[in-house]
Amino acid sequence: MKNIEKIAFQFPTTLAAALRLQANEKTRGKLLAGGTDLMVQWASGVPTPERVTSLWNLPEISAIRVLADHVEIGAGVTHAFLVDCQPLRTHVPALVAAAGTVGAKQIQARGTLGGNVANASPAGDTAPALLVTDGTVVLASQAGEREVSLSQFWTGYRQIAARPDEIIVAFRLPKRGKARERFRKIGTRRAQAISKVMAASRIRVEKGVIVSAAIALGSVAPTPVRLTQVEQFLAGKKLTPALIAEAEKLAQTTVQPIADIRSTAEYRRWASGRLVRDALEHL
Amino acid sequence: MTKARKNARQLIGTGMHRVDAAGKVSGETRYLNDMPLKGILHGVVVRSPVPRGILKAVEPDPAYNWTGITVATAKDIPGENVVHMHDRTMPLLAEVGAEVRYRGEPVAVVAAKTLAQASAAAAHIRVEVDPLPPLLTLAEAVAVFKSTPDKFDSMKSQDIVKGDIAKGFAEADDILEGEYEAGHQEQLYLENQGVVVYPQKDGSIFADGSLQCPYFPVHELNDPLQLPPEKIRVRQTPIGGAFGGKEEYPTMLIGYAALPALKSGKPVKITYERNEDILFTPKRHPVWVRYKTGFKKDGTLTAIECDYILDGGAYLTISDVVMFRGILHCALAYRCDNVVIRGKVARTHSMPCGAFRGFGAPQAIWGIESHIDAVAAHLGRAPHEYRQQIHIRPGDSTPTGQILSAENGSTTCLKQALQRADFARKWRQSSQGKLRKGQQKLYGVGLAFLGHGSAFTGDGEAKFKAKGRVELATLANGKPGVNIRVSSTEMGQGVHTIFTQIAADALSLAPEHIRFPLADTAFVPNSGPTVASRTTMVVGNVVYRAAQDLKQQIEAFAAQHFFRGAAATLKDSQLVAKGARPVPFAKVAQAMLKEIGGASGSFQFNLPDSIRWDQTTFKGDSYPGYSWMANIAEVEIDPLTYELAVTRVTAVIDIGRVINPVTAGGQVEGGLTQALGYAVMEKMGTGKNGLYDAARLQTYIIPTALDTPEFDIHFVEYPYTFAPPGAKGVGELPMDGLAPAIANAVAAATGRRLRQIPITPEAIYEAVHGGREGTP
Ligand SMILES: Cc1cc2nc3c(=O)[nH]c(=O)nc-3n(C[C@H](O)[C@H](O)[C@H](O)COP(=O)(O)OP(=O)(O)OC[C@H]3O[C@@H](n4cnc5c(N)ncnc54)[C@H](O)[C@@H]3O)c2cc1C
Repeated sequence: MKNIEKIAFQFPTTLAAALRLQANEKTRGKLLAGGTDLMVQWASGVPTPERVTSLWNLPEISAIRVLADHVEIGAGVTHAFLVDCQPLRTHVPALVAAAGTVGAKQIQARGTLGGNVANASPAGDTAPALLVTDGTVVLASQAGEREVSLSQFWTGYRQIAARPDEIIVAFRLPKRGKARERFRKIGTRRAQAISKVMAASRIRVEKGVIVSAAIALGSVAPTPVRLTQVEQFLAGKKLTPALIAEAEKLAQTTVQPIADIRSTAEYRRWASGRLVRDALEHL
Repeated sequence: MTKARKNARQLIGTGMHRVDAAGKVSGETRYLNDMPLKGILHGVVVRSPVPRGILKAVEPDPAYNWTGITVATAKDIPGENVVHMHDRTMPLLAEVGAEVRYRGEPVAVVAAKTLAQASAAAAHIRVEVDPLPPLLTLAEAVAVFKSTPDKFDSMKSQDIVKGDIAKGFAEADDILEGEYEAGHQEQLYLENQGVVVYPQKDGSIFADGSLQCPYFPVHELNDPLQLPPEKIRVRQTPIGGAFGGKEEYPTMLIGYAALPALKSGKPVKITYERNEDILFTPKRHPVWVRYKTGFKKDGTLTAIECDYILDGGAYLTISDVVMFRGILHCALAYRCDNVVIRGKVARTHSMPCGAFRGFGAPQAIWGIESHIDAVAAHLGRAPHEYRQQIHIRPGDSTPTGQILSAENGSTTCLKQALQRADFARKWRQSSQGKLRKGQQKLYGVGLAFLGHGSAFTGDGEAKFKAKGRVELATLANGKPGVNIRVSSTEMGQGVHTIFTQIAADALSLAPEHIRFPLADTAFVPNSGPTVASRTTMVVGNVVYRAAQDLKQQIEAFAAQHFFRGAAATLKDSQLVAKGARPVPFAKVAQAMLKEIGGASGSFQFNLPDSIRWDQTTFKGDSYPGYSWMANIAEVEIDPLTYELAVTRVTAVIDIGRVINPVTAGGQVEGGLTQALGYAVMEKMGTGKNGLYDAARLQTYIIPTALDTPEFDIHFVEYPYTFAPPGAKGVGELPMDGLAPAIANAVAAATGRRLRQIPITPEAIYEAVHGGREGTP
């Protein structure tokens, strides 16, 4: 936190004002939402920016809307707010479960969905649950709004497909409809835990046959990933114990996790398959 | 509670509220970093950039502006460059031309008006080292020990020998060997290390610090600072946790701060941030322990042979004594006539390891309690039933030949714990690698049984003679009362409360008349360090006796001045004499303070004459008393992911007389939680650069409240009658047994014995799928 007192903070109160600040290089600031990632980074030696633009007071990005076939969640929505929103439990239950495992109550009260996504950690808890919805990220700038598919949003380790003048304003997520969702995180402990591996899934079964399957993993690659090979393998097949065993094995051969301080590559590989099994056993 | 409490007002045995609670809960208590200090300098330690090499230069950049900045190097050490702990090998600061022996070894201290200035200046000191190949880890040292024992570098070795080990193995029907390992553990006190050193006009120093042992710096810094003990005054600030971490290390920190303080003539404060505190202060010693046991068909142990090696780090500091306590616990709890234990302290190029709750015993008990379970499995016996057969009990002799007195509740602890946890039935339900009918998770229950020696090893207390006083004084509230004057420090364990209870009962005085000021070596006699599970047993006895001494003086004064020579008794805060109206204590105390200037009761601890100890052969009475514990862990392992949950922990404990069941229970729950972390999550590796890989709270994982199990904690009382009120130690013992109990439960759940902690999902995965480990 060495130079935090030297940062120039700007607190716009409308989205338009924030976009104006970000449009100009001279007034553009590092975006700050809840600060639960940024403050930690600054404290541990990441250089502090000259200017910061706070998003904390922007009503336009802090709402949840439930529409006919999708939900729209503002980027400034906190994990706590998200977890308390009853309709989301019906329409995007995996995301609600994921938000409920972020840090602990204090962090959930402050940390935002937009911050979790923009921080772009492969261990960001909400990422796999967002990915399996096939939804989009809504980006805004003075030039207007554009939508980017979530599956194309994380472009590399801690990299996102947003321009410097853009702010994430919302996530448009199709409702699950008749599909079932599941989220499971293997952490280093029961709370305040970063994941070793985690999985989210949205799978639809009709009359014993898998109609569609979306499965995503976190912490096994530089970005959150969809298991497209496994999904394709499952589509149109009858759900049987043998199929589940094969899907488990396939998942284990497709992921390429690394070892780090939280886990080993071998365990992550194995557990990836186990979480795929878990998803298929809970349909 | 075994005895009925006759006196209704007796406080010993009650859960009296903590005397320090209000200040800590309200935030009024000022820790070192809360104290507004004016006119001081902030110190930053400059460290070796490599784990090993010849120090070529420590030079301030000539281009930098050094105005207002004090730089102290080894050249500024007034006396001999040595911190005199248990040997004289460790320099206060590494010297140019000499070898640096660990990454982060201090080479200079920079002090400036602000921390930012000091840090910036510290970055402009050029530290040049010609690197040498380091030996970083215990694993590397043990590899040397196994392949080329004569090349193994041991800083201290000690054997324990009982009976004839060859004969023991010859008599055995079967032999089982096993190796067990554990790594570093960080104390992770809430309040980081910190001291302020104030240089005095007469050349002496006065230090404030968050520290457990105020007298250590007084006696360990004389040589480098060229100051006699009376010229080093140390005062304890309120301590935000210590767990051993503030035992020996604050001496070094005071030494570092003293150099720029003496050079500049200004007070210097050094406090660490969490990252520096984790990286560069002592941890629990990693251990490698190998058992070879011989036993009869009926299970009788005929031989125990054990090698116990600790990673001491770069310098001995206090590791010899940690190793001594370790080997004294390697085979303590079981009957066996032929024992050889060989203890060693390996030298590695890493931060010297140091004191941490348990002090070598948890490492020893991790080994023996895993191994005994392995022997039971080998014999086809249930672990509880086997331990009931072979455990040590009164009348038996320990590996050092000490005969256990009747004041040892070993058998009761074991029996009651097994009953309370319904162990026999649960043991039969253990999964043994396969889900049983109705089980969603792999279930296992495991047991550990242990004794923990209270107080200094051997005749340490007899030699040390802890001193203490209980004084009549005018208290801060202006009223007459009593001050407890001992060097024991409150670090969260509750000593201020229980000593208040002890003094109150010994004086028959209400606790509001009693204060226990923070230890200051200018005012307190040396009652020893706050370590070794000795405080309640030894210093508690000193307080008890000193208070009784004071009571007699008060009674004699009252007899003369208030009762015309009639015998007076201090009872329930009043002085009473036959046929006279009682006089309140405050009135008599006021008169005493006025007329004779006060009074002071004192006592010096001793051990019974019957204690025998030979420090060279390690034969005799290794501890004055022992606490005992049977510890049971129940675990559930998710077969999907091998995530492990410790669901329930039972502990039945004999700590002698329980002074305060609430604080004692708190000690046990806290210690068990620390042991839980040690067992299943706390993990610290060493990188090639010589730094720990988990050096932040984000990476060094300790249990949260959600990770703690349901606890069933129960005390049985076998008081240490020689030293009233009869307590034994509770501080360390809760740390001793849970890791092996959990490993044993994991073995019962999975059918695999894990020989290394922490037992993470990754470790279970490897044990089950890697095929590296055999069955238990
Ligand atoms: C103790 C602790 C525990 C934690 N535990 C977890 C955990 O279990 N799981 C987990 O996933 N995370 C965890 N985190 C990380 C963090 O809390 C989450 O990632 C949180 O969602 C971040 O949101 P924020 O609003 O605080 O982001 P900030 O810190 O404010 O910002 C994070 C990043 O996102 C950018 N940003 C923020 N909002 C926008 C926007 N609208 N448009 C564009 N860019 C934006 C910022 O510029 C910054 O780069 C933890 C953090 C702490 C301190």
